Amino acid sequence: MANLLQTNAPASSAGRKARMTSKWFKAASHELIPPFYLWLGLILLTLFTLAPVTYLLLSSLSPASELLSGRLIPATLTLMNYVRLFQGPSGAEYVHALRNSVAVSVWTTVFTIGIGIFAAYALAKIKFPLRTTSLFAILAMQLLPSISIIVPMYIMMREGISISIPFTGIVLYQSPPLLDTIAGLVVAYTTFSLPFAVWLMAGYFQTISRELEEAAYVDGCGRIGTMFRIIIPLSLPGIAATAIFTLLSAWDEFIFASAFTQTFAAKTLPVAIREFIGRHSIDWGLMNAGGFVASLPPVILSLLLYRYIVGGLSAGGVKE
Amino acid sequence: MGKPSKAGIVSSLRLNPRGRKDLLLAVILLLPTVYILAKTFIYPIVQSLIWSFYKYNLMDGSDIEFVGLRNYTQMFGLHEFWISMRNTAFFTVFTVGFELLLGFFSALLLNQMFRGRLFFRAIIIVPWAMLTLVNGLMWNWIYQPGYGAMTVVLHKLHLLPAGSNPVWLSSSQGIMFFASIADIWKMTPYMTLLLLAGLQSLPASLYEAAVIDGAGFWKKIWHITVPQLMPAIIVAIVLRILGAFRVYDILTVFTGDPTTSVSYLTYNYAFRYFYLGRASAMAWISTIFILILIVIYIRMLKKNSELE
Repeated sequence: MANLLQTNAPASSAGRKARMTSKWFKAASHELIPPFYLWLGLILLTLFTLAPVTYLLLSSLSPASELLSGRLIPATLTLMNYVRLFQGPSGAEYVHALRNSVAVSVWTTVFTIGIGIFAAYALAKIKFPLRTTSLFAILAMQLLPSISIIVPMYIMMREGISISIPFTGIVLYQSPPLLDTIAGLVVAYTTFSLPFAVWLMAGYFQTISRELEEAAYVDGCGRIGTMFRIIIPLSLPGIAATAIFTLLSAWDEFIFASAFTQTFAAKTLPVAIREFIGRHSIDWGLMNAGGFVASLPPVILSLLLYRYIVGGLSAGGVKE
Repeated sequence: MGKPSKAGIVSSLRLNPRGRKDLLLAVILLLPTVYILAKTFIYPIVQSLIWSFYKYNLMDGSDIEFVGLRNYTQMFGLHEFWISMRNTAFFTVFTVGFELLLGFFSALLLNQMFRGRLFFRAIIIVPWAMLTLVNGLMWNWIYQPGYGAMTVVLHKLHLLPAGSNPVWLSSSQGIMFFASIADIWKMTPYMTLLLLAGLQSLPASLYEAAVIDGAGFWKKIWHITVPQLMPAIIVAIVLRILGAFRVYDILTVFTGDPTTSVSYLTYNYAFRYFYLGRASAMAWISTIFILILIVIYIRMLKKNSELE
């Protein structure tokens, strides 16, 4: 076909044009969308995705005088809003919220993975009665909203949590009231992250073949040895994905944080951002700078660890 | 995941040494998780069911008093409750519908082979990774009358007469609509990634037979892609409904009006007025609705895994 067109010199220009058009408007046999529409769609998708964020960034870099003039792209750029964000008493509160967010997210992730990994191993690799039922119960818990348990949880935080041996009345440990503390938030978030962390990690553990385990048994490893030497190292990507999801959801959580914190002692970034809107009513430059800084860690983390996140999402059952 | 067969249960109960050791190990490994979940998840959920039958007012210090179904009957008689239900239903249907539509076509685009595909696949994760509250703040800024980006762009495109300067967030319908758009922007990538994963599991030769038959784009989508992708689509829809129905955080950026969602109203009853009994009853309405969806979802998952 191509040869035919090349030898036919007089028709070549029209022929090339026709070929060009057909190339742009006809999909390849195994594809669905012709290139022209593909790129049109991709441009729209990029615009839809990036325009709002770009606007947020530009407005945070724009001097106050230009913000309210309705220019989308400021003529001059300034870092003044970022300087103001970290200055003075309100700046100190913002930094405090940032630090709280880091502490809460990191501790939640450590506890969730540290505790959940054992349960996930048991559910994935040991046969015992009611195993499937327990897995589905865990899945169901993962999908329930925080509003379902927030009221009793609040009372629990107010009175402090006691660790006791069930049905005996022996109290091993009684915590002080946990309202307005980072520890309280870590407890609440760990509760909410555990089910999905267990579900996700159990899924990853199940993909590791039985032969590898058997080989480890032959080499004289016990159950626990196999878990630490075979299963965990091989599922590190899955564990990483689980850790990222835990971290991101703790960073983003708002409903518990706003119910359980009243002073700046334990306020996290989402609560601080919510308060911006009341306090700095129309200081949009400052608010946008604060919002941008708060979003930077999760966005950068997600882009860097894109592969794990997509893997985790498609493993199914991650709520948001 | 294999169902434990009857024989399996029996053999692990019958005391063969290896099975008994395994059972003991499983119990030890599960114990911390089970203890925590029982203490901070299952107990609260039961507790809130019990409190929903009590008058429990934390503010006035009155005694806790059993009132039977009164919290529920009062709630169903409450105008506010029905408005919040309607708004939640609107939010759920509107956002999930558009996220599905946009997510489906984005997934089709990103499933093709082209240069720089990874770049486009990566950038769509940016909205999803942003803080929900910042997303609300950002759209609130975009919707500002006069100098906000939406008004400016609409003026530049001459879609809005030069003299007109609407206050977009003035009515509660406006707030619901514009808050939904913010949510659609943030959660469409999630839908896209779920559907993309579904598309990637379909065979590459999917459309070849259809080309021979000369089917066009829409025909191919309707007769090949959609039916093949149906399990993934349904799972994605259910997961998104579960997420959208609980909406609370993004609304607090746009409005102080608690009737904009059931969660918002529940939260207000609990932590503004401290009517814990009534708030528990309201929370249980959400819980029941979501439990029904969860049962549907688990059935779907079981069916899907049987098909594989």
